[in-house]
Amino acid sequence: MNTERLTIIEHLMRWLNLKRLIFAIVLSFFLISVVFPFYWMVSSSFKSYAEIGGRQAVYIPSALRLDAYGELFDPNNPAFQDFLANIINTIKVAVPTSLIAVFLSILGSYAIARLHFRGKNLLLNGVLLVYLFPGVLLIIPLFAMLARIGDAVGFNIQDNLAVLVLTYLAQTLPVALYMLTNYFRTIPDEIEQAALIDGCSRFQVMWRITLPLAVPALVSVGIYTFMIAWNEFLYAMVFLNDHNLFTMPLKISTIFNDPDPRPHVVMAASTIMTIPIILLFLLMERYLEEGLTAGGVKG
Amino acid sequence: MRNNSKSNLKKQQRGSLARKEAQLAGILITPTILIVFGLILFPAFFSIWVSFHDVSLRNLNDVFNAPFVGFDNYVRVFNDFAFKYQGAESWGAAVTSIVYSFASTILTMIIGLIASLLLNQKFRLRGLARSIFLAPYVAPIVSVAFVWRWILDPRPSGVLNDILMRLGLIDLPKAYLATRGLALLLMIIFQAWRYFPFAMLMILARLQAVDGTLYEAAEVDGANTWQKFLHITIPELRYVLGAIFLLRLIWTFNKFDDIYLLTNGGFGTNVLPVLTYQFSFKLFNFGVGAAAAMILLVVLAIFMAFYIGIVMKKIED
Repeated sequence: MNTERLTIIEHLMRWLNLKRLIFAIVLSFFLISVVFPFYWMVSSSFKSYAEIGGRQAVYIPSALRLDAYGELFDPNNPAFQDFLANIINTIKVAVPTSLIAVFLSILGSYAIARLHFRGKNLLLNGVLLVYLFPGVLLIIPLFAMLARIGDAVGFNIQDNLAVLVLTYLAQTLPVALYMLTNYFRTIPDEIEQAALIDGCSRFQVMWRITLPLAVPALVSVGIYTFMIAWNEFLYAMVFLNDHNLFTMPLKISTIFNDPDPRPHVVMAASTIMTIPIILLFLLMERYLEEGLTAGGVKG
Repeated sequence: MRNNSKSNLKKQQRGSLARKEAQLAGILITPTILIVFGLILFPAFFSIWVSFHDVSLRNLNDVFNAPFVGFDNYVRVFNDFAFKYQGAESWGAAVTSIVYSFASTILTMIIGLIASLLLNQKFRLRGLARSIFLAPYVAPIVSVAFVWRWILDPRPSGVLNDILMRLGLIDLPKAYLATRGLALLLMIIFQAWRYFPFAMLMILARLQAVDGTLYEAAEVDGANTWQKFLHITIPELRYVLGAIFLLRLIWTFNKFDDIYLLTNGGFGTNVLPVLTYQFSFKLFNFGVGAAAAMILLVVLAIFMAFYIGIVMKKIED
């Protein structure tokens, strides 16, 4: 008995040298700090009002209560928030932003990477400047400018999802252009030259050779622009006043700032907003990780 | 007639491939140019113009005829109690911004460096740990900001209050984000929590490219882990650390969402981007807002000139 216990301890001691111990402690610290807020978000979303506002924090909800989700989605709930409309608004903004940004950046990046024209460097540097510009700097002139144009042409800049898409394009297109140009440059020019000599037009070359080779980059640019539009807060706050047009970030902020605080509802809405993004990222991690360091998520 | 001129044009183009290419490039690039110039470069220069004019909600529909006011907007910003330094109790947005950006950047880099050293070790489920570490950076800012606010909630059901009270460290629940000093410190910690994965990924990529024979040689010479870290790892990382520092400093300095969502700029956490927003869209004085944004940009330019001129040069030597 005694000897056996000793060997276990010995065994443990051998395994637990100082280096491993420090490693395990630091790794656990990181994992807990990263995971806990996400656990707290999801678990809080399943708590009842009593559990949220009690005299003590509740670490594990007593049951998977859907009170908060009912408030978000159930029209018969007295505090119905119609969050589905906000999800749809967000999709209405994020999907067009992503598709248009990918389409325009394919054209633009191809031209920058493959063709020779004057002003190319000015354009590229102009694009890079965006990395340095604060969003708040651009929103003032954009607001004033679009208000003036809208007044002249006859559209409203506020509460207009199309205008929001336009401003998101201004934010996402530079990133998309930069990432795609870099990718196109890695595709050997010789393949295209050979196809050109065989009589293909430039468009045929693009459609049949370059784009199929660039699918990973297109996917990652599409997802990044989608994520930027999905998460965007400042421009949506400035350009949207009508609660029916609010995107998810604005709605969550509105629920949070309600005079009667209901954190479980905020956490439920946050969970709904976060899960698609995390899933998208995990599924596409292979394509996306490179883009993270290339500034895909500016900020 | 039209067809004729078109076919003539085609013949000429065949003669000059370069011109044809330039034309195609023109077609391909036009939509991008329109958006980049129309919605980024022009507005950027237009905001310089706005900062010297009296633009408010009243004359927004006639903005191009706004009266010129010289440096008045700048003077208003500099004299604003929310902007200027008024002693240790009230830093003002300018000083707060600088302290906040530098502290956040440095802490983000330290945490990112530690995380990358962890993930550079071989252990089971390393890939999973790496994916988990990326979560704070990938998740929507609105979600994580509100989770933090809920964790830091001043009520007894706020989990940080609960933990600290159970441990006997505090007797009564605290309002962390409504306490001067503490609020700013928490914002800096939040920045490090959210953005360390960016530093981690960049450092990790560089670490994996370090020549292993350097460490072997050092071991032969009897170097311990700390010496190897100090004399091999850090020098190998200096360029990537420099790049991370610059990027994170710029982005943190420009950041609006994080502070706005967590503290609304209150309790000693008001920074220049939030102040710019308040001038423009709370007071609806766009001229003053633009002036604040220009000041922000000038400070940023000074950082960069200083950094690229002195720090990067030193690294190269």
